[in-house]
Amino acid sequence: MFDSHLTRRNFMKTSASVAATLAASQMGPFARPAHAARDKELNILCWEGYNSAQVLDPFRSSKSANVKAESLTNDPTMINRLRAGEINVWDLINVNNPWARKVMMPEKLIKPLDRAKFEPYFEKMLPQFKPPYKWAMDDSGKELLGMAQRFGPYSFVVNTDKISRKTAEDQGWDLFNDPKLAGRFGILESDDWNVFGICAIAGFDPYKPHSPEEVAKFEETAKRVLKNKKVVGDIATMNQALISGEIDCHLTGGSYSVSPARADGHLNLRAITPNKGPFAGGKGGIAWIEITSVVNNPQGSPLAETFLEYVQDPVVAHTVAFAEGTFNPVAQMGNPECFKLFSKEQLDAIQWDSLDEEMARSVEYDIVPDYDKLLDIWNAAKKS
Amino acid sequence: MSKPILQLKNVRKAFGTLAAVDDVNLSIGEGEFFTIVGPSGSGKTTLIRMLAGMEKPTSGDILLHDKRINDTPANERPTCMVFQSLALFPHRTVGQNIEFALKIRNVDPAVREKRARELMQQLHLPADYYSKNVTLCSGGERQRVALARALAFDPQILFFDEPLSAIDYKLRKTLEKELKDIHRETGKTFVYITHSLEEAMVMSDRIGVMRRGKLIQVGSPNEIYSTPRSRFVSEFMGDVNVIPVEANGAGSVRSQSLGASFKVLANSVEAKAQCLVVRPEFLRFLDTPADAQNSLRGILYNEYALGSRIQYQVRVGEKVFLVEKLRQQPFKGKLDDEVLIGWDPENAILVADE
Amino acid sequence: MSGDSSFLAQPGRRAAIPIMVLLLLGFVAPLLAVVGFSFMPPRTFGLWHEPSLENYERIFSDNTYVSLLWSLGLASLTVVLLALICYPVAYGLVRVFGRWSTALTLLFTIPLIVSENIRLYGWVLFFIKGGVLPGTLKALFGVEMGDFLFTPAAVLFGMVYVYLPFMLFPMTLGIAMVPNQMREAARDLGASRWQVFREVELPLSTPGLMIGSLLTFVLAVGAIAEAKVLGGQRIIPITHDIEIAFTYAQNWPLGAALAVLLMLVVSVLVLTVLKRFDLDQILGKR
Repeated sequence: MFDSHLTRRNFMKTSASVAATLAASQMGPFARPAHAARDKELNILCWEGYNSAQVLDPFRSSKSANVKAESLTNDPTMINRLRAGEINVWDLINVNNPWARKVMMPEKLIKPLDRAKFEPYFEKMLPQFKPPYKWAMDDSGKELLGMAQRFGPYSFVVNTDKISRKTAEDQGWDLFNDPKLAGRFGILESDDWNVFGICAIAGFDPYKPHSPEEVAKFEETAKRVLKNKKVVGDIATMNQALISGEIDCHLTGGSYSVSPARADGHLNLRAITPNKGPFAGGKGGIAWIEITSVVNNPQGSPLAETFLEYVQDPVVAHTVAFAEGTFNPVAQMGNPECFKLFSKEQLDAIQWDSLDEEMARSVEYDIVPDYDKLLDIWNAAKKS
Repeated sequence: MSKPILQLKNVRKAFGTLAAVDDVNLSIGEGEFFTIVGPSGSGKTTLIRMLAGMEKPTSGDILLHDKRINDTPANERPTCMVFQSLALFPHRTVGQNIEFALKIRNVDPAVREKRARELMQQLHLPADYYSKNVTLCSGGERQRVALARALAFDPQILFFDEPLSAIDYKLRKTLEKELKDIHRETGKTFVYITHSLEEAMVMSDRIGVMRRGKLIQVGSPNEIYSTPRSRFVSEFMGDVNVIPVEANGAGSVRSQSLGASFKVLANSVEAKAQCLVVRPEFLRFLDTPADAQNSLRGILYNEYALGSRIQYQVRVGEKVFLVEKLRQQPFKGKLDDEVLIGWDPENAILVADE
Repeated sequence: MSGDSSFLAQPGRRAAIPIMVLLLLGFVAPLLAVVGFSFMPPRTFGLWHEPSLENYERIFSDNTYVSLLWSLGLASLTVVLLALICYPVAYGLVRVFGRWSTALTLLFTIPLIVSENIRLYGWVLFFIKGGVLPGTLKALFGVEMGDFLFTPAAVLFGMVYVYLPFMLFPMTLGIAMVPNQMREAARDLGASRWQVFREVELPLSTPGLMIGSLLTFVLAVGAIAEAKVLGGQRIIPITHDIEIAFTYAQNWPLGAALAVLLMLVVSVLVLTVLKRFDLDQILGKR
């Protein structure tokens, strides 16, 4: 009797999310019969930032709406939740650039936006977002699938007191092949980004099909990097370890992760985009652009589009850029009304000085064709 | 009394400002069965715990064989206590419980078992109980196990802290007799505490009565019964008729409330407040007032059959008197009849009103 | 009782229906769903596929056992360390500290109000380079502290720290439940203080030790935050494996199979222990 209670507790601890998701997915249709109009309700599935009160509260009060936002730190998870039936739950989904165009639209998980209404916003964005912006459009180039806002380079982060910016940019991913770095670097836990990083350290492009030799090299590199690492953890852990000197640099990271530390005055910590690397065109780093799309929810809320317009406002866009937890450049900085809201410290925090060149040296986040296989290898390597 | 084994000299135990045991002087003889009686809160448990070494006296001395043992811890005293709860070890068998003291003393296992089996036989415990879980034994069996456990290491004195108080009447009677038998067989000194006079009377060689921390009277059961020194002792010893009286010249006392004078033995009258105590069995129904030296007229109020005797309640004014007679003695009184009761001076005692 | 043997004949059983339904829905149904998922093909998201044993085959063919061994090993070590640490403390709380016990108990309880993660991050600040401990050691004694944070030892430290109350309080109760007269009787029968402890107090307080051990073991096997936060993922316990399967890897069936495996292993261990140490027998009740 005793043990069953405890086992349950233990079990619930590890799989509460399953139960919750199950309840939503399997029983969802029964639990929500003939849903009433949801014009005062909005559910957002997003990366950290959009779920902050600073962003949501003004919207809540102006629309007297009940807005719920859940933040995850992984694109495939969010998309799988839509696939598993939560398409009935969410109104907006905020993920990295390729998913809308390559996966969610073909699978009818999202629906197109009114082009006439939303395209003008792209006109006011930074130059690289000029319409028709590739990642916001479907394959045919006819449908607008979502809105761009936050973006940034995301390769690795160094403490420039220990490793100079120039050394890091010149050596690039090879830095992590250097035996001298053993025990002095961390890994920011973010499994798909970790897979990209290991591919780059192994010396090949993650975004193409891989030969058995490359897969073997991936496994060897994963094991070696994991063996040499000092710590795996979340953003807070990485920044703390960098500041305290436990580590000199960490794999996977960029303005998204290091900006809070920089905003705190630790300008010696810096996101690095290597000068060259194994990516398409010999580019050295990876960058991401978030696309926020309207979920193809049968009882979708009309507030979804209202919210997308709301965050285009210069003031709100600035708030999104500096929402709690992570600070990022936003596409709306192309609008002088928005840009003038950024202080010098804020621009320093998001490395505005080198943003253009770093974006130019980066390829854009993409989907790894054999991701599942590489991820399994990565996760198994973590244990050994 | 035989040679004293245990002596208490001005023993006092205070908890805070309250003296649980107050200036007790006592001498217990070797081989004696000594019982301390008293109501709960009278300090008898504190007293026996000091004797066993579980409490230290605040002042005064406890002597064992004329040696001061105030500071000797319980485990170094040649004494053993049977607790009210028995405190048998539930994780041990009957045999292990009995052998506990021997195991502590590193006695050879074979010797231990032999001793345990002897004791079990002596205490009428079936031999196959040796490896029985002690918690599966009945109340009476557990009493015997506790006694056997206490006897196992051959202590000089056994203390008993009301071990029979939670046992039903019939079994208690049996165990009282068995305990007395064991006392005779072993010849050990037993110091027993109880709040039951009956228990004390049945088993003891001597009885000490405690009240509010003080030992107020010590004597043989017969002495305590027939010549109590105070109203408290007399009342504690069972149903008695107590009449508050004052001196009324030589050989006479007067009761204010009854408005009557009574003849008493001339030398017993004292100046201070006293009570006249008449036991129910010494009160008798009279045909005429001349049949006894003291008499009272009252109403027969109720009657109770007590086995071989019958007890009557007789109302005299506000006061109810108890009268007992043997069943076979003739008496024709009916309830609500007016009756005459009386007694002679040698059947009444004058005690202090305290 | 009566001739009517129908289950619902007794009013008590009829009255229990609502709570039974609640338990079935809230407890049994999710459990069954997890068991069901564990037999689905890898990386599927519904319960209506052809059942397969692929997940279990994979668990036994790759290095999952490493995680399981870490979890079981760390949990066992935690239990042993907690037993050694908590017994004296619990004994003190019950028998020695007197009126200070309440204050001490409060000190042990208050941290429970703060979330486990926050407390663990607190320890990170304590142990990190230049943090409270290494910083103080360096400033006062010029001693450079060796690596402790992000090691398995730090994980063990975290687990011992987090689960301490779960061992301490059952133990305190176990010791408090040994009747005073039992100890006095043993002493009166000639036992020294040590013998009283060994022969009476320790065996009679084993139920507290047992319950505390079971509680902490089962909780510790389910620990995950300690390895993540204090261990810097130097080691991956089985629970982290399950989490990875359910999140990053998006392989719910594999995660479910791992969860089922963990439940089975823990249940078997706990039942075996319970069978060997019958609590009722220790307490002498039947």
